[in-house]
Amino acid sequence: MIEVKNLVKSFDSNVVLNGINETIQKGEKVVVIGPSGSGKSTFLRCLNLLETPDSGEIWFEGEQINTKKCNINRIRQKMGMVFQHFNLFPHLTVLQNITLAPVMLKLQTKEEAEKRARELLTRIGLIDKADIYPNMLSGGQKQRIAIVRSLAMNPDVMLFDEPTSALDPEMVGEVLELMKELADDGMTMVVVTHEMGFAREVGTRILFMDGGNVLEQAPPEEFFEHPKNERLKDFLSKVL
Amino acid sequence: MDFFVGIFNDFYDFFVGIFNDFYRTMIEDGRWLLLVEGLWNTIYIAICAVLIGTVIGCLLALCKISKSKVLRTIANIYTTIIRGIPLATQLMIFYFVIFAPFGMDRHLVAVIACGINSGAYVTEIFRAGIQGVDIGQTEAGRSLGLSRVQTMWRIVIPQAVKTALPTYTSEFIALIKETSVLSFIAVTDLNKAGDLIRNATYNAWIPLITIAVIYLLITFGLTKLFAVLERRLSRSDRG
Repeated sequence: MIEVKNLVKSFDSNVVLNGINETIQKGEKVVVIGPSGSGKSTFLRCLNLLETPDSGEIWFEGEQINTKKCNINRIRQKMGMVFQHFNLFPHLTVLQNITLAPVMLKLQTKEEAEKRARELLTRIGLIDKADIYPNMLSGGQKQRIAIVRSLAMNPDVMLFDEPTSALDPEMVGEVLELMKELADDGMTMVVVTHEMGFAREVGTRILFMDGGNVLEQAPPEEFFEHPKNERLKDFLSKVL
Repeated sequence: MDFFVGIFNDFYDFFVGIFNDFYRTMIEDGRWLLLVEGLWNTIYIAICAVLIGTVIGCLLALCKISKSKVLRTIANIYTTIIRGIPLATQLMIFYFVIFAPFGMDRHLVAVIACGINSGAYVTEIFRAGIQGVDIGQTEAGRSLGLSRVQTMWRIVIPQAVKTALPTYTSEFIALIKETSVLSFIAVTDLNKAGDLIRNATYNAWIPLITIAVIYLLITFGLTKLFAVLERRLSRSDRG
Protein backbone atom coordinates (compact mmCIF):
# COMPACT_ATOMS: atom_id res chain seq x y z
CA MET A 1 0.00 0.00 0.00
CA ILE A 2 2.80 2.42 0.92
CA GLU A 3 6.24 1.91 -0.52
CA VAL A 4 9.23 4.03 0.41
CA LYS A 5 12.41 3.79 -1.64
CA ASN A 6 15.72 5.23 -0.54
CA LEU A 7 14.12 8.19 1.24
CA VAL A 8 16.57 10.96 2.16
CA LYS A 9 15.67 14.14 4.04
CA SER A 10 17.87 16.72 5.67
CA PHE A 11 17.24 20.04 7.35
CA ASP A 12 20.12 22.34 6.36
CA SER A 13 23.21 20.21 6.95
CA ASN A 14 21.49 17.87 9.41
CA VAL A 15 20.65 14.55 7.74
CA VAL A 16 17.42 13.32 9.36
CA LEU A 17 16.53 10.42 7.08
CA ASN A 18 19.41 8.51 5.63
CA GLY A 19 17.98 6.37 2.85
CA ILE A 20 14.91 4.60 4.21
CA ASN A 21 13.39 1.62 2.37
CA GLU A 22 10.08 0.37 3.68
CA THR A 23 6.93 -1.30 2.46
CA ILE A 24 3.69 -1.16 4.39
CA GLN A 25 0.96 -3.62 3.45
CA LYS A 26 -2.76 -3.08 3.71
CA GLY A 27 -4.03 -3.90 7.20
CA GLU A 28 -0.63 -3.68 8.86
CA LYS A 29 -0.20 -1.73 12.10
CA VAL A 30 3.35 -0.50 11.93
CA VAL A 31 4.69 1.10 15.09
CA VAL A 32 7.80 3.26 14.83
CA ILE A 33 9.83 3.78 17.97
CA GLY A 34 13.18 5.34 18.68
CA PRO A 35 14.90 8.09 20.64
CA SER A 36 14.11 11.78 20.08
CA GLY A 37 15.71 13.13 16.92
CA SER A 38 15.93 9.71 15.35
CA GLY A 39 13.88 10.84 12.36
CA LYS A 40 10.74 8.86 13.11
CA SER A 41 8.36 11.83 13.01
CA THR A 42 10.01 13.14 9.85
CA PHE A 43 9.63 9.71 8.28
CA LEU A 44 5.91 9.74 9.08
CA ARG A 45 5.47 13.30 7.83
CA CYS A 46 7.18 12.40 4.56
CA LEU A 47 4.53 9.73 3.92
CA ASN A 48 1.88 12.39 3.23
CA LEU A 49 4.41 14.97 2.07
CA LEU A 50 4.03 17.35 4.98
CA GLU A 51 7.80 17.22 4.62
CA THR A 52 9.19 17.15 1.10
CA PRO A 53 11.87 14.49 0.69
CA ASP A 54 15.23 15.54 -0.74
CA SER A 55 15.44 12.34 -2.77
CA GLY A 56 13.87 8.92 -2.97
CA GLU A 57 10.41 7.75 -3.92
CA ILE A 58 7.15 7.39 -2.02
CA TRP A 59 4.43 5.27 -3.59
CA PHE A 60 0.85 5.06 -2.37
CA GLU A 61 -1.66 2.62 -3.84
CA GLY A 62 0.42 2.16 -6.97
CA GLU A 63 1.13 5.83 -7.61
CA GLN A 64 4.29 7.77 -6.94
CA ILE A 65 3.22 10.74 -4.85
CA ASN A 66 6.38 12.85 -4.62
CA THR A 67 6.30 14.01 -8.22
CA LYS A 68 5.02 17.24 -9.72
CA LYS A 69 2.39 15.31 -11.67
CA CYS A 70 0.71 13.86 -8.61
CA ASN A 71 -2.16 15.78 -7.02
CA ILE A 72 -1.16 15.46 -3.39
CA ASN A 73 -4.47 16.90 -2.12
CA ARG A 74 -6.32 13.94 -3.60
CA ILE A 75 -3.82 11.49 -2.07
CA ARG A 76 -4.08 13.11 1.36
CA GLN A 77 -7.83 12.55 1.38
CA LYS A 78 -6.99 8.87 1.68
CA MET A 79 -4.30 9.31 4.35
CA GLY A 80 -5.60 10.46 7.71
CA MET A 81 -3.14 12.12 10.06
CA VAL A 82 -3.28 12.63 13.81
CA PHE A 83 -0.91 15.09 15.45
CA GLN A 84 0.76 15.31 18.81
CA HIS A 85 -0.94 18.64 19.51
CA PHE A 86 -4.34 17.62 18.10
CA ASN A 87 -4.57 20.72 15.88
CA LEU A 88 -8.33 20.98 16.11
CA PHE A 89 -9.64 24.16 14.51
CA PRO A 90 -10.42 26.44 17.47
CA HIS A 91 -12.81 28.71 15.55
CA LEU A 92 -15.11 25.83 14.59
CA THR A 93 -17.37 23.68 16.71
CA VAL A 94 -16.59 20.01 17.16
CA LEU A 95 -19.16 19.06 14.51
CA GLN A 96 -17.81 21.66 12.07
CA ASN A 97 -14.28 20.41 12.69
CA ILE A 98 -15.37 16.97 11.53
CA THR A 99 -17.55 17.99 8.59
CA LEU A 100 -15.40 20.80 7.15
CA ALA A 101 -13.16 18.74 4.88
CA PRO A 102 -15.67 16.19 3.50
CA VAL A 103 -18.16 18.96 2.71
CA MET A 104 -15.61 21.37 1.31
CA LEU A 105 -14.10 18.72 -0.92
CA LYS A 106 -17.60 17.77 -2.07
CA LEU A 107 -17.21 14.16 -0.97
CA GLN A 108 -20.41 14.34 1.07
CA THR A 109 -23.33 16.73 1.32
CA LYS A 110 -23.64 18.76 4.49
CA GLU A 111 -26.44 16.50 5.73
CA GLU A 112 -24.55 13.28 5.01
CA ALA A 113 -21.41 14.64 6.66
CA GLU A 114 -23.28 15.72 9.77
CA LYS A 115 -25.04 12.39 10.05
CA ARG A 116 -21.73 10.55 9.76
CA ALA A 117 -20.06 12.94 12.22
CA ARG A 118 -22.82 12.33 14.76
CA GLU A 119 -22.47 8.59 14.34
CA LEU A 120 -18.74 8.80 14.95
CA LEU A 121 -19.19 11.10 17.94
CA THR A 122 -21.77 8.73 19.39
CA ARG A 123 -19.36 5.86 18.96
CA ILE A 124 -16.68 7.63 21.01
CA GLY A 125 -19.22 8.86 23.56
CA LEU A 126 -18.80 12.55 22.82
CA ILE A 127 -22.06 13.28 21.02
CA ASP A 128 -22.98 15.81 23.72
CA LYS A 129 -19.92 17.87 22.69
CA ALA A 130 -21.01 18.26 19.06
CA ASP A 131 -21.86 21.94 19.23
CA ILE A 132 -19.19 23.28 21.55
CA TYR A 133 -15.78 24.72 20.70
CA PRO A 134 -12.59 22.68 21.18
CA ASN A 135 -11.20 24.85 23.99
CA MET A 136 -13.88 23.41 26.28
CA LEU A 137 -12.52 19.88 25.87
CA SER A 138 -9.89 17.92 27.73
CA GLY A 139 -6.75 16.81 25.89
CA GLY A 140 -7.98 13.26 25.58
CA GLN A 141 -11.31 14.40 24.18
CA LYS A 142 -9.54 16.69 21.72
CA GLN A 143 -7.35 13.91 20.43
CA ARG A 144 -10.27 11.48 20.07
CA ILE A 145 -12.13 14.12 18.08
CA ALA A 146 -9.03 14.74 15.96
CA ILE A 147 -9.00 11.01 15.19
CA VAL A 148 -12.68 11.12 14.30
CA ARG A 149 -12.07 14.15 12.10
CA SER A 150 -9.60 12.08 10.08
CA LEU A 151 -11.93 9.09 10.02
CA ALA A 152 -14.72 11.20 8.55
CA MET A 153 -12.72 11.28 5.31
CA ASN A 154 -12.85 7.45 5.17
CA PRO A 155 -9.08 7.16 4.77
CA ASP A 156 -7.28 4.00 3.68
CA VAL A 157 -4.44 4.54 6.11
CA MET A 158 -4.05 6.52 9.33
CA LEU A 159 -0.77 8.15 10.36
CA PHE A 160 -0.30 8.90 14.06
CA ASP A 161 2.47 11.29 15.11
CA GLU A 162 3.02 10.75 18.83
CA PRO A 163 -0.72 11.00 19.52
CA THR A 164 -0.44 10.64 23.28
CA SER A 165 2.77 12.56 23.99
CA ALA A 166 1.04 15.85 24.82
CA LEU A 167 -1.62 14.28 27.05
CA ASP A 168 -1.93 14.12 30.81
CA PRO A 169 -1.16 10.54 31.86
CA GLU A 170 -4.76 9.84 32.83
CA MET A 171 -5.94 10.80 29.32
CA VAL A 172 -3.58 8.46 27.47
CA GLY A 173 -5.73 5.37 28.01
CA GLU A 174 -8.87 6.65 26.29
CA VAL A 175 -6.92 7.64 23.17
CA LEU A 176 -5.04 4.35 22.96
CA GLU A 177 -8.34 2.52 23.47
CA LEU A 178 -9.84 4.25 20.44
CA MET A 179 -6.74 3.48 18.39
CA LYS A 180 -7.02 -0.17 19.40
CA GLU A 181 -10.63 -0.23 18.21
CA LEU A 182 -9.51 1.22 14.89
CA ALA A 183 -6.84 -1.42 14.60
CA ASP A 184 -9.39 -4.15 15.33
CA ASP A 185 -11.59 -2.75 12.55
CA GLY A 186 -8.76 -3.48 10.15
CA MET A 187 -7.45 0.03 9.57
CA THR A 188 -3.95 0.26 8.18
CA MET A 189 -1.97 2.30 10.69
CA VAL A 190 1.48 3.81 11.02
CA VAL A 191 2.09 4.98 14.56
CA VAL A 192 5.03 6.91 15.94
CA THR A 193 4.86 6.57 19.70
CA HIS A 194 6.67 6.07 22.97
CA GLU A 195 3.91 3.79 24.29
CA MET A 196 5.67 0.42 24.38
CA GLY A 197 2.62 -1.35 25.77
CA PHE A 198 0.57 -0.19 22.81
CA ALA A 199 3.32 -1.17 20.38
CA ARG A 200 3.49 -4.68 21.80
CA GLU A 201 -0.25 -5.18 21.98
CA VAL A 202 -1.47 -3.58 18.76
CA GLY A 203 1.53 -3.46 16.44
CA THR A 204 1.95 -6.12 13.80
CA ARG A 205 5.46 -4.92 13.08
CA ILE A 206 7.76 -2.64 15.06
CA LEU A 207 10.44 -0.44 13.49
CA PHE A 208 13.32 0.89 15.53
CA MET A 209 14.82 4.08 14.13
CA ASP A 210 17.95 5.91 15.15
CA GLY A 211 20.17 8.40 13.33
CA GLY A 212 17.91 8.46 10.30
CA ASN A 213 18.03 4.70 9.69
CA VAL A 214 15.73 1.80 10.46
CA LEU A 215 18.10 -0.30 12.57
CA GLU A 216 15.78 -3.20 13.28
CA GLN A 217 12.28 -4.34 12.49
CA ALA A 218 10.36 -7.38 13.65
CA PRO A 219 6.96 -8.53 14.92
CA PRO A 220 6.42 -7.30 18.50
CA GLU A 221 7.18 -10.59 20.25
CA GLU A 222 10.55 -11.02 18.63
CA PHE A 223 11.28 -7.30 18.73
CA PHE A 224 10.85 -6.95 22.48
CA GLU A 225 12.01 -10.42 23.58
CA HIS A 226 14.96 -10.98 21.27
CA PRO A 227 16.34 -7.68 20.03
CA LYS A 228 19.48 -8.13 17.97
CA ASN A 229 20.76 -4.61 17.41
CA GLU A 230 22.97 -3.29 20.23
CA ARG A 231 21.48 0.21 20.03
CA LEU A 232 17.99 -1.26 20.32
CA LYS A 233 18.97 -3.41 23.31
CA ASP A 234 20.33 -0.33 25.00
CA PHE A 235 17.18 1.68 24.14
CA LEU A 236 14.81 -1.03 25.39
CA SER A 237 16.76 -1.47 28.62
CA LYS A 238 16.10 2.19 29.35
CA VAL A 239 12.44 2.44 28.40
CA LEU A 240 11.05 -0.91 29.54
CA MET B 1 -23.41 87.24 52.69
CA ASP B 2 -21.79 89.89 50.56
CA PHE B 3 -18.80 87.61 50.30
CA PHE B 4 -20.83 84.82 48.65
CA VAL B 5 -22.58 87.24 46.33
CA GLY B 6 -19.15 88.43 45.30
CA ILE B 7 -17.97 84.88 44.48
CA PHE B 8 -21.18 84.17 42.64
CA ASN B 9 -20.75 87.28 40.55
CA ASP B 10 -17.16 86.34 39.76
CA PHE B 11 -18.23 82.92 38.55
CA TYR B 12 -21.11 84.42 36.63
CA ASP B 13 -18.81 86.87 34.86
CA PHE B 14 -16.35 84.06 34.15
CA PHE B 15 -18.89 81.83 32.45
CA VAL B 16 -20.54 84.67 30.58
CA GLY B 17 -17.06 85.60 29.39
CA ILE B 18 -16.46 82.05 28.11
CA PHE B 19 -19.82 81.95 26.45
CA ASN B 20 -19.23 85.29 24.75
CA ASP B 21 -15.77 84.17 23.57
CA PHE B 22 -17.22 80.94 22.29
CA TYR B 23 -20.02 82.77 20.53
CA ARG B 24 -17.62 85.24 18.92
CA THR B 25 -15.17 82.61 17.70
CA MET B 26 -17.44 79.76 16.71
CA ILE B 27 -21.01 80.88 16.11
CA GLU B 28 -20.64 84.39 14.71
CA ASP B 29 -20.35 84.46 10.92
CA GLY B 30 -21.18 80.73 10.91
CA ARG B 31 -17.57 79.75 11.60
CA TRP B 32 -18.69 76.43 13.11
CA LEU B 33 -19.61 75.39 9.57
CA LEU B 34 -15.86 75.28 8.88
CA LEU B 35 -15.54 72.65 11.60
CA VAL B 36 -18.36 70.63 10.05
CA GLU B 37 -16.62 70.75 6.70
CA GLY B 38 -13.30 69.82 8.29
CA LEU B 39 -14.86 66.96 10.24
CA TRP B 40 -16.56 65.63 7.11
CA ASN B 41 -13.27 65.77 5.16
CA THR B 42 -11.37 64.05 7.96
CA ILE B 43 -13.90 61.25 8.23
CA TYR B 44 -14.49 60.49 4.58
CA ILE B 45 -10.81 60.67 3.68
CA ALA B 46 -9.95 58.36 6.58
CA ILE B 47 -12.68 55.88 5.63
CA CYS B 48 -11.75 55.85 1.92
CA ALA B 49 -8.06 55.54 2.84
CA VAL B 50 -8.66 52.64 5.18
CA LEU B 51 -10.71 50.86 2.52
CA ILE B 52 -7.91 51.29 -0.02
CA GLY B 53 -5.40 50.33 2.66
CA THR B 54 -7.33 47.18 3.48
CA VAL B 55 -7.45 46.04 -0.15
CA ILE B 56 -3.72 46.74 -0.57
CA GLY B 57 -3.02 45.12 2.79
CA CYS B 58 -4.88 41.90 1.90
CA LEU B 59 -3.11 41.56 -1.44
CA LEU B 60 0.37 42.40 -0.19
CA ALA B 61 0.06 40.30 2.97
CA LEU B 62 -0.62 37.34 0.68
CA CYS B 63 2.39 38.38 -1.41
CA LYS B 64 4.52 38.48 1.72
CA ILE B 65 3.67 34.92 2.69
CA SER B 66 3.70 33.54 -0.86
CA LYS B 67 6.30 31.15 -2.18
CA SER B 68 7.25 33.52 -5.00
CA LYS B 69 10.39 35.48 -4.28
CA VAL B 70 9.39 38.21 -6.75
CA LEU B 71 6.07 38.87 -4.99
CA ARG B 72 7.74 38.84 -1.59
CA THR B 73 10.37 41.32 -2.75
CA ILE B 74 7.80 43.69 -4.23
CA ALA B 75 5.80 43.66 -1.00
CA ASN B 76 8.92 44.18 1.10
CA ILE B 77 10.08 47.15 -0.97
CA TYR B 78 6.63 48.73 -0.69
CA THR B 79 6.33 48.41 3.08
CA THR B 80 9.93 49.48 3.66
CA ILE B 81 9.59 52.66 1.62
CA ILE B 82 6.15 53.65 2.84
CA ARG B 83 6.78 52.96 6.49
CA GLY B 84 10.16 54.66 6.39
CA ILE B 85 8.93 58.08 5.21
CA PRO B 86 6.66 60.42 7.21
CA LEU B 87 3.10 60.70 5.94
CA ALA B 88 3.45 64.49 5.52
CA THR B 89 6.43 64.03 3.18
CA GLN B 90 4.65 61.31 1.19
CA LEU B 91 1.56 63.44 0.89
CA MET B 92 3.55 66.35 -0.51
CA ILE B 93 5.45 64.10 -2.92
CA PHE B 94 2.15 62.73 -4.21
CA TYR B 95 0.58 66.17 -4.55
CA PHE B 96 3.46 68.33 -5.76
CA VAL B 97 5.49 65.74 -7.69
CA ILE B 98 3.62 62.66 -8.83
CA PHE B 99 0.14 64.01 -9.47
CA ALA B 100 1.09 67.64 -10.13
CA PRO B 101 1.13 67.26 -13.95
CA PHE B 102 -2.44 65.92 -13.89
CA GLY B 103 -3.83 68.77 -11.82
CA MET B 104 -5.70 66.23 -9.74
CA ASP B 105 -8.20 67.24 -7.07
CA ARG B 106 -6.40 67.61 -3.74
CA HIS B 107 -9.01 65.55 -1.90
CA LEU B 108 -8.48 62.67 -4.28
CA VAL B 109 -4.72 62.92 -3.82
CA ALA B 110 -5.25 62.91 -0.08
CA VAL B 111 -7.33 59.72 -0.29
CA ILE B 112 -4.80 57.98 -2.52
CA ALA B 113 -1.78 59.03 -0.47
CA CYS B 114 -3.36 58.10 2.86
CA GLY B 115 -4.65 54.84 1.37
CA ILE B 116 -1.24 53.83 0.07
CA ASN B 117 0.32 54.81 3.36
CA SER B 118 -2.21 52.89 5.41
CA GLY B 119 -1.83 49.90 3.09
CA ALA B 120 1.75 49.37 4.20
CA TYR B 121 0.78 49.22 7.86
CA VAL B 122 -2.24 47.03 7.18
CA THR B 123 -0.01 44.68 5.17
CA GLU B 124 2.19 44.15 8.20
CA ILE B 125 -0.82 43.74 10.49
CA PHE B 126 -2.36 41.05 8.27
CA ARG B 127 0.97 39.31 7.68
CA ALA B 128 1.62 39.13 11.41
CA GLY B 129 -1.94 37.87 11.94
CA ILE B 130 -1.58 35.10 9.37
CA GLN B 131 1.87 34.06 10.52
CA GLY B 132 0.66 34.13 14.11
CA VAL B 133 -1.66 31.19 13.42
CA ASP B 134 -0.02 27.96 14.56
CA ILE B 135 1.58 26.06 11.66
CA GLY B 136 -0.20 22.95 12.99
CA GLN B 137 -3.49 24.45 11.80
CA THR B 138 -2.20 24.57 8.23
CA GLU B 139 -0.78 21.07 8.53
CA ALA B 140 -4.08 19.74 9.86
CA GLY B 141 -5.98 21.35 6.98
CA ARG B 142 -3.56 20.14 4.34
CA SER B 143 -3.43 16.63 5.76
CA LEU B 144 -7.21 16.41 5.36
CA GLY B 145 -6.73 17.00 1.65
CA LEU B 146 -7.62 20.69 1.53
CA SER B 147 -5.62 22.77 -0.93
CA ARG B 148 -3.36 25.65 0.11
CA VAL B 149 -6.04 28.18 -0.82
CA GLN B 150 -8.85 26.27 0.91
CA THR B 151 -6.77 25.90 4.06
CA MET B 152 -5.84 29.57 4.02
CA TRP B 153 -9.41 30.69 3.44
CA ARG B 154 -11.33 28.47 5.83
CA ILE B 155 -8.81 27.74 8.56
CA VAL B 156 -5.97 30.27 8.74
CA ILE B 157 -7.60 33.57 7.78
CA PRO B 158 -10.63 33.30 10.13
CA GLN B 159 -8.20 32.83 13.02
CA ALA B 160 -5.84 35.52 11.74
CA VAL B 161 -8.67 38.05 11.52
CA LYS B 162 -9.45 37.51 15.14
CA THR B 163 -5.89 38.13 16.30
CA ALA B 164 -5.30 41.01 13.86
CA LEU B 165 -8.50 42.87 14.61
CA PRO B 166 -7.30 44.90 17.63
CA THR B 167 -4.22 46.17 15.76
CA TYR B 168 -6.24 46.72 12.60
CA THR B 169 -8.80 48.90 14.36
CA SER B 170 -6.12 50.90 16.11
CA GLU B 171 -4.56 51.50 12.68
CA PHE B 172 -7.86 53.02 11.56
CA ILE B 173 -7.97 55.20 14.65
CA ALA B 174 -4.36 56.25 14.12
CA LEU B 175 -5.21 57.15 10.52
CA ILE B 176 -8.00 59.49 11.64
CA LYS B 177 -5.49 61.35 13.77
CA GLU B 178 -2.84 61.33 11.06
CA THR B 179 -5.10 63.02 8.54
CA SER B 180 -4.28 66.17 10.52
CA VAL B 181 -1.27 66.55 8.20
CA LEU B 182 -3.59 67.11 5.23
CA SER B 183 -3.21 70.87 5.66
CA PHE B 184 0.22 70.46 4.04
CA ILE B 185 -1.63 70.22 0.73
CA ALA B 186 -4.30 72.72 1.78
CA VAL B 187 -7.11 70.24 2.42
CA THR B 188 -9.45 71.60 5.09
CA ASP B 189 -9.53 68.74 7.53
CA LEU B 190 -10.67 69.13 11.12
CA ASN B 191 -7.29 70.36 12.32
CA LYS B 192 -7.00 72.88 9.49
CA ALA B 193 -10.53 74.12 10.18
CA GLY B 194 -9.61 74.84 13.78
CA ASP B 195 -6.54 76.66 12.57
CA LEU B 196 -8.53 78.83 10.15
CA ILE B 197 -10.82 79.87 13.00
CA ARG B 198 -7.83 80.68 15.19
CA ASN B 199 -6.41 82.93 12.49
CA ALA B 200 -9.71 84.67 11.89
CA THR B 201 -10.55 85.36 15.53
CA TYR B 202 -7.17 85.61 17.27
CA ASN B 203 -8.57 83.20 19.83
CA ALA B 204 -6.42 80.08 20.05
CA TRP B 205 -7.80 78.08 22.92
CA ILE B 206 -11.46 77.79 21.99
CA PRO B 207 -11.02 76.33 18.47
CA LEU B 208 -8.09 74.15 19.50
CA ILE B 209 -9.81 72.68 22.56
CA THR B 210 -12.97 72.18 20.50
CA ILE B 211 -11.24 70.15 17.78
CA ALA B 212 -9.27 68.25 20.42
CA VAL B 213 -12.56 67.23 22.05
CA ILE B 214 -14.03 66.24 18.68
CA TYR B 215 -10.99 64.06 17.84
CA LEU B 216 -11.18 62.48 21.27
CA LEU B 217 -14.91 61.76 20.93
CA ILE B 218 -14.39 60.08 17.54
CA THR B 219 -11.45 57.94 18.62
CA PHE B 220 -13.01 57.03 21.95
CA GLY B 221 -16.31 56.14 20.28
CA LEU B 222 -14.57 53.95 17.71
CA THR B 223 -12.47 52.24 20.38
CA LYS B 224 -15.64 51.28 22.23
CA LEU B 225 -17.38 50.17 19.03
CA PHE B 226 -14.47 47.93 17.98
CA ALA B 227 -14.24 46.46 21.48
CA VAL B 228 -17.81 45.21 21.10
CA LEU B 229 -16.94 43.71 17.73
CA GLU B 230 -13.92 41.93 19.18
CA ARG B 231 -15.94 40.51 22.02
CA ARG B 232 -18.41 39.02 19.53
CA LEU B 233 -15.64 37.47 17.47
CA SER B 234 -13.92 35.95 20.45
CA ARG B 235 -16.94 33.90 21.45
CA SER B 236 -15.19 30.61 20.66
CA ASP B 237 -12.31 31.58 22.95
CA ARG B 238 -14.36 31.55 26.10
CA GLY B 239 -13.38 28.73 28.32
